Amino acid sequence: MTHDEASDLLGAYALDAVDGSEFTDLEEHLETCPRCRAELDSLRDVAAAMGNSVEPLPEGLWSQIAVRLPERQEDEEPPPMPRLTPEGSSPFRSPASHAASTRRRRTTLTTVGAIAVAAAAVAIVLGIGLVRADNRVSNLQSAQAAPTAAVKTALNTPGHRVVTLDSSTHAEQAQVVVLPSGQGYVVSSTLPSLDKGRTYQLWEIEGNQPISLGLLGGSPGRAAFTMAGSTRPSHLSITAEPAGGSVFPTGPILATGTV
Amino acid sequence: MPRIDEVSDAQLVTSIARYSEVALAEAYRRHGGAVFGLAKRVLANPTDAEDVAQEVFLRLWNQPDRFDPARGSLRSFLLAQAHGRAVDAVRSSSSRRAREARDALRTAESPYDMQREVWDMAVADQVSNAMGDLPEEERRAIELAYFDGHTYREVAQLLEQPEGTVKSRIRNGMRRMRAHLADAGVRGVDAQ
Repeated sequence: MTHDEASDLLGAYALDAVDGSEFTDLEEHLETCPRCRAELDSLRDVAAAMGNSVEPLPEGLWSQIAVRLPERQEDEEPPPMPRLTPEGSSPFRSPASHAASTRRRRTTLTTVGAIAVAAAAVAIVLGIGLVRADNRVSNLQSAQAAPTAAVKTALNTPGHRVVTLDSSTHAEQAQVVVLPSGQGYVVSSTLPSLDKGRTYQLWEIEGNQPISLGLLGGSPGRAAFTMAGSTRPSHLSITAEPAGGSVFPTGPILATGTV
Repeated sequence: MPRIDEVSDAQLVTSIARYSEVALAEAYRRHGGAVFGLAKRVLANPTDAEDVAQEVFLRLWNQPDRFDPARGSLRSFLLAQAHGRAVDAVRSSSSRRAREARDALRTAESPYDMQREVWDMAVADQVSNAMGDLPEEERRAIELAYFDGHTYREVAQLLEQPEGTVKSRIRNGMRRMRAHLADAGVRGVDAQ
């Protein structure tokens, strides 16, 4: 769909009056056209102004909503996390002092080298509890194709959260669904295919700490991952990494979303 | 800590993302009436409209990140959600006959549906002026699409006009209204 064709349709689209293949084509165009998105936003405001008349709320409606809110685990503290902490150039900072990191590095580097098969050679593990770190690193290899049925079930599971990951220009790059159990799936993605030897990698960001959630492959479709330590991270991000994945992001963040 | 009724809509949504039920209740208090009102107007059925309102607020709970304050007000976002859901319901559930019956009922009752509590008289007047100032064919096409949930192609059939003409009328009418509202100093819709 050309820009002009899309632009002609925006009035009808703002009124939800476009359907079929035109609808799909227009949505595709909107993803890549900030001008049309801005136009659409302003036309939606016009539609909202037309439709903005307040009715008294029916009695009992709120209770019906409230009972359908999924159970929350607000009071549960997430278990302590192992940290795979960076060295070198990276958007994230190590919270540990340099002196401490140097000291620890000496004692752990050999072990880590044996464990972190896929880890980039520059990656340094500072964390306590190498067994947990081992689990984390093994997550690097754990991206599996998720059956469509599993994704569908996830989307119908109470308490699921759908996270949209956007690029820095607010274009939607991927959607994932996360269950209260920590199990997650990539629902859809529009990330371009990578060259051979590269893979997308999904990260959970807690504070400034990136923790790998798994590899998504070079042309991400449906992939499964597990948030082992925390079921409620604040942010998810995607970077492109060498095949096999990295222990710490080496590339820029391509997409990020708030959980 | 500010009181919940003093925080901005954007802050409310941030709290909803952190599982604050109170924040969702406050969003419902502020915008529920408008969401329900629009759904009822499109569906012409209070029970179905309640279902739509439930869905809209549950979706806000489950996917608060869908709301981007940079792209408009929360009221505008929720109304767009409500309209989309209501139109889906109209299109999926009603057979042609049921739909005609619904349209007939609406026509019979519509001009006197004046007890609606208007969110802001001054702005509502402007909106009504803006619609009233539209050329008849543009206003009609917009109303059939927005309030009756027809696609623009269906509107073209109903009005016996070419699809391209109807598409342009809707676009031009919407832009005309936008200019009118902007001249009147109305930008988007917000909570009262």
